[in-house]
Amino acid sequence: MTTPVIFDPATLPSDDNVNAYTFCVELRGSQWFLQKGKMIAYYGRIDFNGVGHGRLDRLLRTSFHSPLHASDWVVAEGEGKMLLADRAFDANSYDLEDGNLTIRAGNLLAFQPSLSLKQSIVPGFLTLIGTGKFVAVSSGPVVFMEPPIRVDPQALVGWADCPSPCHHYDHGYMTGVLGGLRALTGIGGTSGEEHQFEFVGAGTVLLQSSESLMDEVATGAVPQQAGVPGARGSDDGQGGSGSSGRRGQPGHRGQQPSGPRLPGQLGDLQRRFGL
Amino acid sequence: MLAVEMTGDSVKAKNGSMVAYDGTMNFKKLTGGGEGIRGMVTRRLTNEQMTVMEVRGHGTCWFADRAAEISLVHLQGEKLYVESSNVLCVEATLRTGTTFTGLRGASQGNGVFTTTVEGTGQAAIISDGPAVLLRVTKQHPLTVDPGAYVAHQGNLKQSFQSGVTFRHFFGEGGGEAFQIRFEGEGLVYVQPSERDTIAGDV
Repeated sequence: MTTPVIFDPATLPSDDNVNAYTFCVELRGSQWFLQKGKMIAYYGRIDFNGVGHGRLDRLLRTSFHSPLHASDWVVAEGEGKMLLADRAFDANSYDLEDGNLTIRAGNLLAFQPSLSLKQSIVPGFLTLIGTGKFVAVSSGPVVFMEPPIRVDPQALVGWADCPSPCHHYDHGYMTGVLGGLRALTGIGGTSGEEHQFEFVGAGTVLLQSSESLMDEVATGAVPQQAGVPGARGSDDGQGGSGSSGRRGQPGHRGQQPSGPRLPGQLGDLQRRFGL
Repeated sequence: MLAVEMTGDSVKAKNGSMVAYDGTMNFKKLTGGGEGIRGMVTRRLTNEQMTVMEVRGHGTCWFADRAAEISLVHLQGEKLYVESSNVLCVEATLRTGTTFTGLRGASQGNGVFTTTVEGTGQAAIISDGPAVLLRVTKQHPLTVDPGAYVAHQGNLKQSFQSGVTFRHFFGEGGGEAFQIRFEGEGLVYVQPSERDTIAGDV
């Protein structure tokens, strides 16, 4: 048992970890983006505004390009020091220098507006581009790996400098009816490790040392557009009514239909307003 | 994990938190937090129930609860305010009681009352992840998220802040609509995790 350290505004670190699980951000009239509800305490005078706040328009134009995640993010501004933490997960800060890093949406805790946040084309991931500092959490310490590597989907936190990720299925998945049945039903036993993400190319892959994930939040869908991965096409167009106006998009057939859309529904704009 | 060495004296600990002991130990459930009939009624009324046991004996007893982090607090006549769910173990020389905290509890679903520990001795409090101790002075008031609050001590005045604006009805709230502000002189313990609060998503 170590003797507890008592912090006050003068002894709290500036933009650094207080302990392995808590990160302290110093604001001097500057702004930080942070995920909603992750602030645990602050000294000074700090305002938290949803990213829809009109005054933040200019900031959003340069740093926030992820409308589907808009309702999960707030902007903190003011003077003081604030502590960020998330479910007692390990928190770490990373400096990005004119780089890019893609991270699981739930693992990103906060970032400086000098970085810009974009949605990755891999669903559920966000990409940060630019120069600046960001804070990410992971269940257990983060391990950095070099591609080529295959990783367990649950252990993946993110990747930097764009190695190209793809799915990898074990050979057994594809060998005949029996193999397929096994994978489908689990009868005969599966190892649970038949499917991985494979990374090749130059870059860094970030892994967490536990397979527990954050709860995923539904973030709506990307615009329904030809060629956009993850865009759930409205399959009712396939019947010949042609109402969706998507001219012959085979290959989108296997994806989940988003369910019937009510007439008054504003597409996925509702998500934007947190409904 | 907390190890307590005992030579015939006793401690009060959260029910079921003993994980191991050597020597001879006696465990006795204390009804109503071991505060007598009056304490029992108060706790029942205030819904700040605390199931504790009295451990007495010779030897070493180890306490732990769901791998939570433990902070030891030395009290010398001061009063420690702590959520009853965060009390792991207190020395028998300390008195426990219940007090009204105002609106803070209501927002975190823990009720509007909290547990006090006072006297001279040591108390062990638990938190999800190591607790961070923050000093509050007159010049530096502190604002805390209700879900991360664990305990506080000293001469602090707490007030409940609500930043609910019309924006919340559009789902564009700042995510930190309910906060507790501590003013005065003292220490506040916060944990690097947030309990599920009613206000958590606002």
